Formats: sequence, C-alpha cells, structure tokens
Amino acid sequence: MDETTSLTEVAATKDPTERKAPADAQPTRKAVKKKSTIAKLAIICVLLMAGMIFAFCPMRFGFTKYSPFINSINLGLDLEGGVYAVYQATNTDTDNFESKMEGTRSALENLLVSKGYPEATVVREGSNHDRIRVEVPNVKDTSAILNIIGEPAQIAFVLDNTKETVLTGEDVVGAQAFYSANDGGYVVSLELTSEGEDKFYTATSNNIGQTMSIIVTIGGESTTISSPKINSAISGNAVISGGFTADSAEKLANQIMSGTFDVALELKESETISPTLGKNALKYGLIAGIVGFALVIAFICVVYRMLGVAASLSLLIYTVVYLFFLATLPWVQLTLPGIAGILLSIGMAVDANIIIFERIKEEYRNGKSIMAAYHAGFKKALFAILDSNVTTVIACILLMLLGTGSVSGFALTLLVGVLISLFTALLISRAFIRYFINLNSYNDKLYNLKRGTMYAGLSADSTDAAIAQAMQLEEDIKKQRKEEKQKEKELSRKAKVANKEKNKGGETA
Amino acid sequence: MKKFDNLLERDFHIVEKRKIIFAIPLVIIFVAAVMMIIFNFTLGSPLNLGTDFTGGYSIDVKLGNKLTSANYDAYCERIKDAMSSVKTEDGEELSIRVDNMQMQGSGDSGAIHVKYYALKGVSEPEMISKVNPAIQSALEDSVLKIIPDTEIDGNKIYITYNDVLSEPAFADQRETFQKAIESLNEEHDAAIVLSEDEAQAIVLNADNKKQIIITCENSVNVSDALTEAITDVMKINDEYAGSVTQGDLVGATVSTELIFNAVLAVALALVFMLCYIGIRFQLSSGLACIIALFHDILIMFSFMAICRIEINNTFIAALITILGYSINNSIIIFDRVRENTKSIYSKEMTSEQVANKSIRETLLRSINTTITTLIMILMVAIIGVEDIKIFAFPIIIGLIAGTFSSICIAPSFWALFQRVGKNKKNFHIDSKPSRDKTDKKAKTAEIGA
Repeated sequence: MDETTSLTEVAATKDPTERKAPADAQPTRKAVKKKSTIAKLAIICVLLMAGMIFAFCPMRFGFTKYSPFINSINLGLDLEGGVYAVYQATNTDTDNFESKMEGTRSALENLLVSKGYPEATVVREGSNHDRIRVEVPNVKDTSAILNIIGEPAQIAFVLDNTKETVLTGEDVVGAQAFYSANDGGYVVSLELTSEGEDKFYTATSNNIGQTMSIIVTIGGESTTISSPKINSAISGNAVISGGFTADSAEKLANQIMSGTFDVALELKESETISPTLGKNALKYGLIAGIVGFALVIAFICVVYRMLGVAASLSLLIYTVVYLFFLATLPWVQLTLPGIAGILLSIGMAVDANIIIFERIKEEYRNGKSIMAAYHAGFKKALFAILDSNVTTVIACILLMLLGTGSVSGFALTLLVGVLISLFTALLISRAFIRYFINLNSYNDKLYNLKRGTMYAGLSADSTDAAIAQAMQLEEDIKKQRKEEKQKEKELSRKAKVANKEKNKGGETA
Repeated sequence: MKKFDNLLERDFHIVEKRKIIFAIPLVIIFVAAVMMIIFNFTLGSPLNLGTDFTGGYSIDVKLGNKLTSANYDAYCERIKDAMSSVKTEDGEELSIRVDNMQMQGSGDSGAIHVKYYALKGVSEPEMISKVNPAIQSALEDSVLKIIPDTEIDGNKIYITYNDVLSEPAFADQRETFQKAIESLNEEHDAAIVLSEDEAQAIVLNADNKKQIIITCENSVNVSDALTEAITDVMKINDEYAGSVTQGDLVGATVSTELIFNAVLAVALALVFMLCYIGIRFQLSSGLACIIALFHDILIMFSFMAICRIEINNTFIAALITILGYSINNSIIIFDRVRENTKSIYSKEMTSEQVANKSIRETLLRSINTTITTLIMILMVAIIGVEDIKIFAFPIIIGLIAGTFSSICIAPSFWALFQRVGKNKKNFHIDSKPSRDKTDKKAKTAEIGA
C-alpha cells in the first residue's frame, strides 16, 4: 500500500499540470460536449429504432403496405420449397455415359449457381441413373424454372444448299442475349470454341451468297428460326437474329446453354414442391435467436456494464445491417443451417468487442485514465482483430470462388457477417463507448474497471502521470540494460584486445 | 468476480503440462478410430453418412385433388407408419427409414415425394427388384385406401368411413365384403356368423351414408385383434387417389466434386493463411494455428463417429464455421505472443514463459467469447427442431475444441517450434566460431612451427 501512495505522490509532484484534464479546466466546454454527446447518442438510437422497424415491422401507409425487409430474405428448399424439374437423358447408349451424365449434372449445378441459386440441388436419379432432378428454391412457379434452365434446345447451323451441318451445340461455349442496334432488335450471340470458329469461318467463306438455316430442336420438334444469307466470311461469334423480344432472346439463350450439355436432356416433368422441413422449423429457429440474443446481451451487460451496453447497441446494429444485406444480396437463400450460422455469427461478433474490453480493463488496471485506457485498448486490440478476421476472410473468399453450390453460398453469408462485424465493433462500438465516457469519465464502476494493486490510489479520470511513471521506469530499465550491454561489450573488447596482445606477445616471444 | 479476476494473476503452466494436455485429444481420436473400426464391422460403415452423401431412394405417392395442405401432415404420418412396417413377400419386416417428404405440385398433379434410406446391407439391384416393389404395394395398401373405424356392439359391427359411400359403389363391394368377413372366421375361430337374412347381413346405413352395418347371428366376442382384422378387410379403394410410382434411385446431393472443390479451397486457404500469419506473425505461429485447426476438425469428426450422428451437408457448413472460429481464436493468442516477444522483458523469458503469459492474459477473453457463442448455439440446440440439432451438435463440439486448442495446443506447439528453432540457431552459432577458432589455432600452430 505504501508503494502505491508514494507512486501517486510522485506522480502528483512530478507533473502537477498534467494531473488536470483539459476539460476540467474548462467546465463550460465539458457541458457543451456532454450536450452534443447526448444529441449524437439520441440520433443514433433513433436511427437504430428506425432500422429495426424497417427490418421487422410490417406497416401501412395509406393504401400502400410496407413489408419489412426481413420478409424479403430468400429462403432455401428446406424452409420455403420451390420448384423441381426432372430431365431425362435421351441418348443413354453413348460411350462414357456415366461420366458424361456426371459432367452434365455439375454443369447444371454451375449454371444454377451462376444464375444466383447456390442452394439449388441437382441430383441424378432413376434406376439407370439416367435422369436429373433439379430443385430450385425461391421460385414460385414452374415457368420460372424454365426461364432459368429452359427446355434444353439443340442448335444447328445448316447450309441450305448442301444440307451440311456446320455448327452444333458442341461448338458453343456460351450463349447470351443482348440488344444489337445493328440488327435493330434483340439477338442471341453464341460464343464458339476455337474449333467451332474455324468451322464457321471456312463454311461461311466457301458459301458466300448461299443461305444458312439456324434450326433449334426442342423436345424432338425442330423449328427454323431464320435463314440468313451469307454476305461475307464470318469469323468470331455467331449471332442469331430473328425478331426476338428481350424475353424470347433470353429464353433461347438459356435453352441453347442447357442444350450444350454432354448429354441431351428432355424435360420430363416440373412441379412446385413444399419445404422439406415443417412450418415450425423457422419459427423455433427465430425464437432460439431471440432468446439467445437476449441472453448474450444480458451476459455482456453484467460482465462489462456500460461497455456491454455499448456492445449490445452495436450488436443490434450489426443484426439489422446483416439482415438488410441478406435481404438485398443475390445468391442468398437461407437454409435452416444458414440461419443457425447467422445466430452463431452474432455470438462471434461479440468477440471483437470482448477483445477490446479486456484490453481496456488491462490498460486501466495498469494506471491509465478511463479515456486513455479506451484509446489504448482500441489501438492495441485493432491488429489482433484485423489479423484474426483477415484469415477468416481469406478462407471465405477461397471457399466462395472454388466451392460448389451450397458451400459457396454459406461462405458468402459468413464473409458478409465477418465484414459487418468488423465495421460495427471497430467503428460503432467505439463511438458508443466514447460517448459514454464523454458523459462520465470518473466512475470506473460504471464500466466495471478496476485498478491493479500498484495503482489502487489513482482516481479514474487521473491523467497519464502514472503511466508516464511506468514508462519512465521502463525507459530506465532500458537505459540500464543498454549501459550494461555496453559495459559487457567493452569488457569483451578489452578482453579480446588483451588476448591479442597476449598472442602477439607470444609470437614475438 | 474476485476469483475470476485472479485468473489473470495465476500461472497455470499450461505449456509445461503439454504431455497430459495432448493426451486428451489423442485419447478421443483413438477412441473414435476404434469405434469406427467396430462400427465398420457391426453396422457396415465407419461413419453414419446421410442421404446427402450416400443417396437413397424416392417414391411418389400421387393423391391428386385429394391432397391439400390441410391433410398433408396426416398423410405424411400414414406414409411414415406404412414405411416403417413394410413386409416382404416372405413376411420379413423391413423398417424403412424416411429421410424427408415434400408436397409436390397441387391440384390434379398433387403428390407426396418421399425420400428414404437404402436398407443397410442390401444391394442396389435387390433394393430395386425386391424392396421397392414391397414398399410400393405397402403404400398402395395403406395410403391409397380409406381406412374405416370399426366398432363391435353385441351382434352388430359398425364400420365407419370418413367419407360418404355411394350406393352403387357399395353394391359392387358387398360381395367382396361378405367373403372377406367370412374368411376371417377361419383365422378367428368362427367368431362371426353373418345373419341368415342376406338382405340384412351387410347394409349401408340409410341415415349415415358413411357407415356400413354388419349384423351377425350371435353377439361377437370383442377383441383388439379381431377389430383390427375387420378394419383391414373393410378397407376400400380411395376412388380419388391416384397411384404410387415405383421406388426409384436418388443420387447423392453432395457430389464428390463438391467435396473435392471444398477440400481444395480449404487447402489453398490454409496455404494463404500460413503466408499471411508468417508475414504478420511468425511461421511457427501459423503452423501452430493450423495444427490447432486440424485438432478441432478431427475432434468434430471423432464425436460424430463416436455418437454416430448422421453426417449430412449441414456438417460441411459446420466445418467451415469452425474453421473460421478456430483460426480466429488462435490468432488472438498469437497476437499476445507477438506483443510479449517484442516487450523488453521477453529476453529474460523462455518461449514457454512467453506462451504461458499470453495464455493468461487472453484467458478471460477466450472464456467470455466462448460463453457468448455457446449461448447462441445452445439456444438453437435446445429450442430448434430435430434437423437443426444435428447441425448444432458438431458446432458445439467444435467451439469447445476450438477454445481448448487455442489455449492448450496452439501456444504449446509455438513454444515447441520456437525451442527447436532456437536450438538449431544456437547450434549454428556455436559451431561456426568454434570451427573458426580451431582453424585459427591451426594457423597459429603453422605460423608457430
């Protein structure tokens, strides 16, 4: 005890001017600061309330109804159902049917992911493994799935004079619909393989003046879309024009894409499907979330008091922002595990706060004022938090890029969560804590901060005299050590010199 | 609270106790390995893989307009019951486990899509040729028929259906019913003798067209077996109901491609993480982080194997979550290690002491973070439905393993690597000058000579 009193005394005598915080010297400025802090806090709380209302509460403005954005979060097959379609392979007797079928299955899966449905399932079925069942979540009727996958179309470019087929689906890499001013309407552009490009070029250059028919076969029925005249040799992409609308061009492009699979597929049936889990699954998941959230908030408020309140407020903001992103981002279809993952992420989002708070506690224990401990705590925790989150971000990005289907979808939701939690912990929690400390920087019990035994006598808003003392001490030790080292060096040098001399002496002798 | 704060003052010497601490996960993994071998021989597979991995079979029960969202749940129950008591032609009972059911289409095309597990130890051709037809006929028998309520009262038997029977339909069926009832007598000791007045023996209740009244000569001895037998023979075809398709093979939703890509992504992620940690911290920290990560994943697998919990694609999601969590946890400790090694006091400390100090200083944070995450996932496990519990369990195990590994395993390994690294360096430093010295001595000796 003696030691601490002497320490504070030393601090007091050593630097009396520093003991007074600048705000103390100007009470009016402090009052103004308090008022503006309260105003800022009030604004943030009002914004938070508004955010929560927009997130969760259905409203009615006159005749227009507002549906909260939590309702527009797309749900997966297990919670909301969707549409299924079964495709039958028509040419089962080809070589390598098994691997071709598997290739087609994964091509379909990739197609669905690229269209924004990572949670869609693509499964082979049938006793001969010759059918593919596709289930797409978040689609309300069967026509929608046909817009996404389409009824596979076999495309063929046939020279009219020789009836020679120039291009087929095998030569097509990608099909895209777009508006072409040259053609005066929507067209479907086909990206060809290099082999396809060569074939197309030779055929067109040899048959200038002839016509070439573009024939699309869907479900065994062939239609000639157009028979344009070849005016010159065409290199590069093939373009199909033929009085398309935006929709019909898009549809044809999709159909051609699904016609380029290794195995020719034919749509067998397509219907809506209900969710695999009962209606209660979602309800109980939400109840679990609310109860868990309340318990987490209770826990951090008990352990960290006002710091915990700040963390709770920023956690609420985290949740609202996260839900907003989930509602607006494409590629998100929440399955039940996805929801559990989000709940878990709320628990993990507290982590950054806890790291910071433990740092603040430590700094305060070692003699800093509350304000100084807050600054030092954030500063020291920053790199720990950034480093730990960067590694998670690395993992998420790689899983998103390389993962397939649900894996990439899950990684995306995790990534969004990590980024938002970084933002809320490092900026929003920080702002709240600063406001709280602005309002009260003298009562350490409010923040559950305690002095270490060495600094027990220091008041909560005392300035950094004590830490200066400690730093001085550290400096002294450093100096001492330097001196010691120097002495050591000197000694060894002397010894060396002496040795050399001895050796020299020996030689001369 | 005081005790809690004292945690910071105490040194647990965790790094020194590494032999005991490393034994814990090793024992768990060993037990899991033994269990997996045992399961492999007794139950046919080391892990309990769900249909997401193994595939299964599906059957469509087409019910047309009869199927509404109101009676969907009741039909599901009936299907589940029927599936669990399917019998083969030889009377062998097969309990078929249903994975999930979906209502498919609506109106005319309304059907229930039932996905079920393959029977253990039954080959694919056998499933298709024997089991699936048995399931099909069982479902046709129990789901596509209207099952009545049977009540025996003295010499009268009342058979009540939940729908009105049309007069002509009843007339068509009358003879069948009569034969069926009489056939029961052989099995049930001539308990039922139909009224001699044939016009009265089996009639449709004139007031309540949902009921058939059977009149007997004598009062019937009531027994559960008899009631059940009567219910069974009095089942009538549901004239609206459609058909049951034959059971069909369904592939795995988790393709090998998905697993391969995920493993590739994780492997690449580990390399990148190692680089990042190597740059920001030390390579030894990165290696220790990855050892801790492997520990967490192995422990998760071990518990899934020991408790034989079904592994589905949700487990992949659980693994990804824990991957992020584990690395996160270890880095927080290594951040302390980084700071403590930079501190001026560190020169007098061994790497073990630095590790212990860092563990101590981050202990409260580790505990509190684990508590908040555990609160969340425990609530999900307690309140949620069955399917989500299967997801929550490995995560809970992973969280506990992650906390354990970040406190007890990662820093210990770091200290170990550090020591090995130092010894190597010391060896280098020691050996070089000494060689120089000997050279010099040799030179001096030459000169001297």
